[in-house]
Amino acid sequence: MAKKRRMTTRLLTAAGATVLLAACAPGQVVGEGSNAEGNPLEVQSVDPAEFAGETMSYVYFTDGPDEQATRDLIAEFEDEYDVTVELEVLPYADLVTSVQARLSGGNAPDVVRLTGLTDFRADLLDLRTYLGEDYADEFLPGPVTGATGDNGELLAVPSDATLNGPFINVDMFKEAGVELPDAAAPWTWEEMVDSATEVQETTGSEYAFAMDKSGHRVSTILSQYGTALVAGNEAVLDTAKAEQALTPLIEMMGDTRMPRDFWLGSGTRYEGANEIFLAQDTPIYLSGNWQVGQFAANAEFDWAVAPNPCAEECGGFPGGKYMAALAEGPNPALAAEFIRFMNTAENQETFITAGGFLPTRADLSEEGVEYPERQEDMDVFLQDLERTPELGYEANAAPAFAGAGTELVEEISKVLADEKDLTTAMSDLKKNTESLVEELAP
Amino acid sequence: MIEAPIKQAQRRRKPPLSLRVAPYLFLLPNMAIFALFTIWPAINGFNISLYSSSNGRTFRWEGTGNYQQILGDGEFWGIVINTVVYAVTFVLLSIVIGIMLAVLVDQQRRGRSFFRAAFFIPVLISPVVVGLVWNWMLERKNGLLNTFLGTFGVPEIPWLIDNTLALIAVIVVGAWMQVGFYMLILLAGLQSIDPTLYEAAGIDGASRWSQFRNITLPLLQPSVLVVVVLSTIHGFQAFDYIYTLTGGGPVGATTLIVQYIYENGFVSPIRYGDAAAGSVLLFCAIFAITIGNYVIGRKREAV
Repeated sequence: MAKKRRMTTRLLTAAGATVLLAACAPGQVVGEGSNAEGNPLEVQSVDPAEFAGETMSYVYFTDGPDEQATRDLIAEFEDEYDVTVELEVLPYADLVTSVQARLSGGNAPDVVRLTGLTDFRADLLDLRTYLGEDYADEFLPGPVTGATGDNGELLAVPSDATLNGPFINVDMFKEAGVELPDAAAPWTWEEMVDSATEVQETTGSEYAFAMDKSGHRVSTILSQYGTALVAGNEAVLDTAKAEQALTPLIEMMGDTRMPRDFWLGSGTRYEGANEIFLAQDTPIYLSGNWQVGQFAANAEFDWAVAPNPCAEECGGFPGGKYMAALAEGPNPALAAEFIRFMNTAENQETFITAGGFLPTRADLSEEGVEYPERQEDMDVFLQDLERTPELGYEANAAPAFAGAGTELVEEISKVLADEKDLTTAMSDLKKNTESLVEELAP
Repeated sequence: MIEAPIKQAQRRRKPPLSLRVAPYLFLLPNMAIFALFTIWPAINGFNISLYSSSNGRTFRWEGTGNYQQILGDGEFWGIVINTVVYAVTFVLLSIVIGIMLAVLVDQQRRGRSFFRAAFFIPVLISPVVVGLVWNWMLERKNGLLNTFLGTFGVPEIPWLIDNTLALIAVIVVGAWMQVGFYMLILLAGLQSIDPTLYEAAGIDGASRWSQFRNITLPLLQPSVLVVVVLSTIHGFQAFDYIYTLTGGGPVGATTLIVQYIYENGFVSPIRYGDAAAGSVLLFCAIFAITIGNYVIGRKREAV
């Protein structure tokens, strides 16, 4: 009896303590004076000489060859301003959670390199405060779309651009006697699929076409067929166009032209098909310009970048990285100056040529960029950049894009696994994207 | 009259305060670390489950909204079924194979240490590596297993592409990875059984099977209970190697509850509240099953 009473007392105490502790909010509760409202813009001028002796931090992830260029530019900045920049290189997978943990702990870094601003919009410094209202005009309007806040703030600077596009195995094309595509007059989707099929049949390659398993990459095809998952704060998917766009993929994965196992066997994980291309198991591989350096170093065959195929639209699907300063960072003025320094025409050119990226500055785009290798291939991407529709930039910048991309991959998987037909899948995708947009609405 | 002196004697025998406090002081460092890094995060996790947040800093009160949403989500129940099928099969396989291996190793006169170490090695390998290696072995095209089977004319089997086969593969790999650990626990249990019991049973004419059934299994029950509890916890918490082996695919066929929690907490759009609510539900399930196992086990031991 006493034992039972003791047990009951303990349980009640534990439950009481839990409820009491649970009554304390785990952080700032929405509606308790959060920083949702932006302040009116007041441009501040800072004398660079005031920075002498200061220290700032830069949280960075690397795509590989860009890291050394970043370190060299940081050394120049440190010399010029007599400051110290602590570079913290993180694995890409840990970037968002690590920066969020630092923000929660009141230890925000000054500057961070990001692929998207969705997770940090409310925490970023409006760079116009230090760099002026016209600073954004130095950059191409497309990449700036993703860096612009709902009230016109400049929340980041697009530091490099990427573009999705196909690579072709020139040796296999030549062996099959199939004509190579012309970058000046891009091929159509039908022509590309026919060429790929012919090369596969003639050379006996395992597949005809491969692409990364990613919502971002599949969005390239949606864009070429004139639609997108989201744009701004709206779900804009045209299901009829999406169905038309995805039919070639589903058909090719239904026979042996595309690797179906590759898509289904990795669950919700991202999977790159670069190894399939490097193993010469496919004549065409849809990925993006960041692969150029890797293929230049590792491919044991002749390859080239092909223009993106056209349907209703031409061009690829954009991506890129941003340099953003955190409003809670210890030294916002120095952070803004660092971002400006890293993105002068000269320094951006150094960075993007080392990393194999595309320019985001309007002047660099106009004058052209000289890459140390594979200039012709990078020029194909630059040409495609001009053909890329504005909708692509709007889609990539939308807060719900990443989540909608995951849904897109999931729905394609369900079609491949015969769980539903493409029409139902696109209709479900539209519904899921709409609820995502609603959930993430500012 | 007699009670008073007894009470006085009892009072006199009571150890001094320093001696009574000493055990708690010894426990204090461990309990402080446990409270700070386990109890407090657990309570905070429950707290977060009552809010929604996409950044871990600003929170919106949801009350039981996250729980209602999860429990009303058809996808979640599919994942619960996967998890239960996985955990039950994993526990059964772990016990059956664990006992078989323990008995076989125990009977070895030579090389017992070698076999014990050999079966234990998978436990030491990083689960991420285990997933990657088995993924390579189970690939339909060019996978080691299908290449081997192909030499006997067996057509390519879609181990990781077919829903049922993928779940079986995940369970078998999980058991392969952990069974060495359970075998060691059971082996220790086997070695604590008095050998004279077997001698006596042999003299009475009991067969090997009868000895196993009537001596080994009943006396191994405390060790089996430990294995049941540990493997149940492992079964419900399985994630890391599955993520690198199948990614939870094909189409969610091998997605278990921890992956569901992980994806809510770390994959865009981040939903910390849903992840925390999923964790609380998982904790409740494991806690209830563990208590159930313990109570049933103790009752059987008492019998």
